[in-house]
Amino acid sequence: MENNLKTKNPLLRLLGGTKYQFISIPIFAIICSLIVSAIIILIVGQNPLMAYKGLLQGAGVLSKNQYAAYQGQITDFMETLDKMTPMLFASLAVAIAMQAGLFNIGVSGQMLISGFIATIVIGYSREMSPILAKPLVAVIGVIVGALAGGLIGFLKIKFNINEVVSSIMLNYIFQYVISFFINTKYVDPVTRQSRNIGANARLTLMQVEIADFKMRIPIFFIVAILIAIVMYFFMKRTDHGLEISAIGFNRDAARYAGINVKRRTLYVMLISGGLAGLAGVTYYLGYQPSILPKSLSSIGFDSIAVSLLGSNNPLGIIFSSFLITVIDRGATYMRSAAGVEQEIAALMSGIILLFSAMGTYMKQKFSDLLIRNRRR
Amino acid sequence: MLNNIIIDGLSFALPLLIIAIGGIYSERSGITNLALEGLLGFGAFCGGLFMAFFSSHFAAANVPVYLSLLIASIGGTIYAALFATLCIVFKANQVISGVVINILSVALTGFLTRQINQNFFNQPSDKFQIGVFPRTSIPVLKDIPVLGGFFNNFYLFEVIILILLAITWYLLYKTRFGMHLRACGDNPQSVDAAGIDVNKVRFKAVLISGALSGIGGMCFAYSISANFSPTIYMGAGFLAIAALIFGNWRIMPTFVACLIFGFARSAGNEIGKAMQLSSSFFDLTMTLPYVLTLLLLIFFSDTNRAPRALGEIYDKGKR
Amino acid sequence: MSEQNDYIIEFRNITKKFPGVIANNDISLGIRQGEIFALLGENGAGKSTLMSILFGMYEPDQGEIYLRGEKVKIKSPNQAAELSIGMVHQHFMLVENFTITENIVLGLEPEKKVFGFPVVDIKGTDQKIKDLSHKYGLDVNPTDLIEDINVSTRQRVEILKMLYREAEILIFDEPTAMLTPQEIEFLLNIIKNLQADGKTIILISHKLYEIKQVADRCAILRHGELIDILDVKTTSTQEMANLMVGKQLSLSLDKSESKPGDPVLEVENLTLDNELGVEIVHNVSFKIHAGEIFSLAGVSGNGQMEIADAIAGLINVKSGKISLNQKEITHATVKERIESGISYIPEDRQRFGLILEMPLAVNLALKSYYKEPFSQKHILQENVFLEYSDNLIKQFDIRSGQGSTTIVRSMSGGNQQKAIVAREIDLDSDLLIFVQPTRGLDIGAIQAVRKRMIDERDRGKAILLVSLELDEIMSCSDRIGVIYNGRIQTVAKADQITREEIGEAMMGVGNHGK
Repeated sequence: MENNLKTKNPLLRLLGGTKYQFISIPIFAIICSLIVSAIIILIVGQNPLMAYKGLLQGAGVLSKNQYAAYQGQITDFMETLDKMTPMLFASLAVAIAMQAGLFNIGVSGQMLISGFIATIVIGYSREMSPILAKPLVAVIGVIVGALAGGLIGFLKIKFNINEVVSSIMLNYIFQYVISFFINTKYVDPVTRQSRNIGANARLTLMQVEIADFKMRIPIFFIVAILIAIVMYFFMKRTDHGLEISAIGFNRDAARYAGINVKRRTLYVMLISGGLAGLAGVTYYLGYQPSILPKSLSSIGFDSIAVSLLGSNNPLGIIFSSFLITVIDRGATYMRSAAGVEQEIAALMSGIILLFSAMGTYMKQKFSDLLIRNRRR
Repeated sequence: MLNNIIIDGLSFALPLLIIAIGGIYSERSGITNLALEGLLGFGAFCGGLFMAFFSSHFAAANVPVYLSLLIASIGGTIYAALFATLCIVFKANQVISGVVINILSVALTGFLTRQINQNFFNQPSDKFQIGVFPRTSIPVLKDIPVLGGFFNNFYLFEVIILILLAITWYLLYKTRFGMHLRACGDNPQSVDAAGIDVNKVRFKAVLISGALSGIGGMCFAYSISANFSPTIYMGAGFLAIAALIFGNWRIMPTFVACLIFGFARSAGNEIGKAMQLSSSFFDLTMTLPYVLTLLLLIFFSDTNRAPRALGEIYDKGKR
Repeated sequence: MSEQNDYIIEFRNITKKFPGVIANNDISLGIRQGEIFALLGENGAGKSTLMSILFGMYEPDQGEIYLRGEKVKIKSPNQAAELSIGMVHQHFMLVENFTITENIVLGLEPEKKVFGFPVVDIKGTDQKIKDLSHKYGLDVNPTDLIEDINVSTRQRVEILKMLYREAEILIFDEPTAMLTPQEIEFLLNIIKNLQADGKTIILISHKLYEIKQVADRCAILRHGELIDILDVKTTSTQEMANLMVGKQLSLSLDKSESKPGDPVLEVENLTLDNELGVEIVHNVSFKIHAGEIFSLAGVSGNGQMEIADAIAGLINVKSGKISLNQKEITHATVKERIESGISYIPEDRQRFGLILEMPLAVNLALKSYYKEPFSQKHILQENVFLEYSDNLIKQFDIRSGQGSTTIVRSMSGGNQQKAIVAREIDLDSDLLIFVQPTRGLDIGAIQAVRKRMIDERDRGKAILLVSLELDEIMSCSDRIGVIYNGRIQTVAKADQITREEIGEAMMGVGNHGK
């Protein structure tokens, strides 16, 4: 009824109308963050526009003034996609769990353990044919990740342990135990990381020569995009997707409707863990060739925010993970080009997250404003 | 060896305890607090900043280190206000807010430390010098066999923490404010009906958790090294969460949990040293608190009770 | 206004609007010192809003409140308490892990000094609470934890809370909804005692006989308007009912004699634990036949909800046997039970019956979405959902803003309930479980739901009705089982047992065998 009443303010209609909010609110959050970040950059005495341009140049979205031999905008851009691949997988892992009302804060741990197992099982068998090794790495990643995610699901349905708590505990347990094994068995004495895996097992092709450029090719990037699209249709158009969102909205009602909530919870945690496993292998056996002991990748935590920024919508997450990766990847170049400390990049991501966390509130406020505006 | 286990165990357990108590304040009021890590880091950053600028301005050498604890707690409080604003004013999901606050804390302190070092000290460093916290021993008592370790070579901040333990215990269980706070975590509607502003109580609770975490963070900074650096984010905040769950959201059992964690850690360390195991062995003992907490949850999940309204956003209009 | 100004409270032209509704429209009324004043009206008539304004929970958009002849602006419950206004809410406002004393003093805690530090004095207050409870006949044990006491005791704690605050004006919001007839008697007596003690009492209710029994005067509200203020002694309940709903309305249901067929549901020696692992249902057996409404009468918390949940498969059976159409289903999953023919209208529609964030079309197909034609090879067929839902909306007169695509949260409670009833009836199950099916509905909707239930019976369905409202049980059932303390006390044909007998059995008095 009220939707038929028009307001004169098109901006308010965009921000307040429930129809567009899934896209307008994240964009509003990003714009707010860019403004706040610009103010910070101004305060430290630099030019924000130059800084932003530097970010985009560094990530290969804009062209730099000059490039070294075999380097070009495309090489930068491919490296950005390489870094984005695990971020996208990890964010999808967070998103599907979130759809079922589960908070998988253990993505980092699941990434680490799948990366580690894939590294020691396949990464060091240098004789294996790449055609065999690469898919095997992915398969192991999925299986190990799914088991690690499934463990959290199991603890939840069997012992009623909150997934946030068990995820945090498992993150640390994985982190220290794997650090122990790396330090005692697989350490490279120079880098203090695990020894590099062989090129045969690496999911990123390095130094591939295409038209005068030597670039990275993240072979799982396309897979990640495809999975995002499949997940979108899975959630929107299938009965299993409906069951998952039903559980996410209201566990009790889902149970009442005959949905096997426990089985679905486990199923979602298996999928989420499997996706986290893919994030793990594309990070530890793709973007990087090795594992730094006693540390968790920040991707696992950033992905929570990326998923949030993408409204937990797989298609939205493609864009939000691209954005956060661009900021992250462009930072080094921005420092040399615009003279802004590269830590500003992490700070910018943090501010974007801060504003996206307010998303629900903004939705509510703008809707209220719109309704009040119409009533007048 | 026993002496070392006790000394190191206490110097780890007590800062952990004060952070965990911060967590208890927040969670007993109904606000899930995953932000402890960020709070303690920001607090320590503020303390470190203070030391970097002012430590040389004091005649008495020990005055600035005590002041730095105060500054750290103020810093933690200010940063906690941001967290509280997110969860309480903007009604954001508390778990997500906690994660965001942590990420932002790492980014913000990293950025500011570099920026300040660059602009004021002209050096590209991500550390602040914070000096050394004084240690002391109690004569006679320290020579008691076995138990002497409790009185030997301890940091003076441990005494401060024990005093704070008594104060926070009194405040939470014996005062009107504490009663209101605990009621907010159980049934906020009833608190509102009694004419108490739920969101105000919760806001205060989160601020207290920031203040305590800030102190804890600074103590950790002193006990790790003579620097403030990004190594402060080593997961003490999450360990504190494990401790408070282990302690069933109550102060005294959480104290015991922290002691267990601390002594398990130092004992593992000492035993490793004695058996001349490589330092990697230490990684395995580090998992102990987390494994213990998980096992506890598996076997005693029935008796373990989180505050009833934990994580619930309180909306006055909703009835 | 009135020429005599002995009003303790006077509302003048109170208007309060919420998005889409006018909850109170220009209401003016006065309440006299020391009377029992009832506010009568259907759900959504604006009774609770008016009282919430008096209690400082809402501010009116227009109008004024005069208290003891002085104009006041009440901005918070705290301020209301200072003006000696107290309220017992419909949903109790108690902290579960606090003792009775702690709950009563919350917000006004007495303090003592220990070594110069202020400490809340609970122990010293226990005796005071005990004395207070004796004075009004509200016996409670001050050191009990709330989580350990029953509904009626909780209500006493709420009353003590007001008395502790020395409230002179006491508001009771639907206080008898959860009580047995005996407990209701007890409460009404207490209310009279309070009046005798000089308190002014405002009673919000839609139960006419209660109002008739205790109230002096009664204001009738309908759709936010004040319809009339009546002297209760000189007005009949039928008159009040007519004014309340605004049209002549028969309070009785047309219902023919039941013609029971074969047994559909058989429950044998059912024993159940509640979620804390305490045995709450002991050895219960009953049968329901096709074409029969069997109801379980009882006070809330005596195991009837658990029995309904166990039949629907939501909680595990500890021992005993449940069979549907001669087939055992004791350990079947929820889905298997739905498919073998059980429909369930749950007590809490928002928590169990609906997914509020999803559109009406999905909610109407919540138990069939995975079957053909809704889903083909796991792919959902949107047009099938919409068609099906449009059809049910028409058939059951479900009203909503955007039809099938309306998000259920935005619908009114009555229409939400209609949606559940529509879905469950359209499943065409042999057994229908109705738990509190008319809770929170207005009289028109109540009649519609009850009529629908009887129609289904006449179509040969077996119906289990669980209700806390004796009126509902008396007017709908063919056979009645009374449950007390997890045991069925007595089972009788509806026309062979009186209201009083049921009431006694509900309290466990006079064991009728079985």
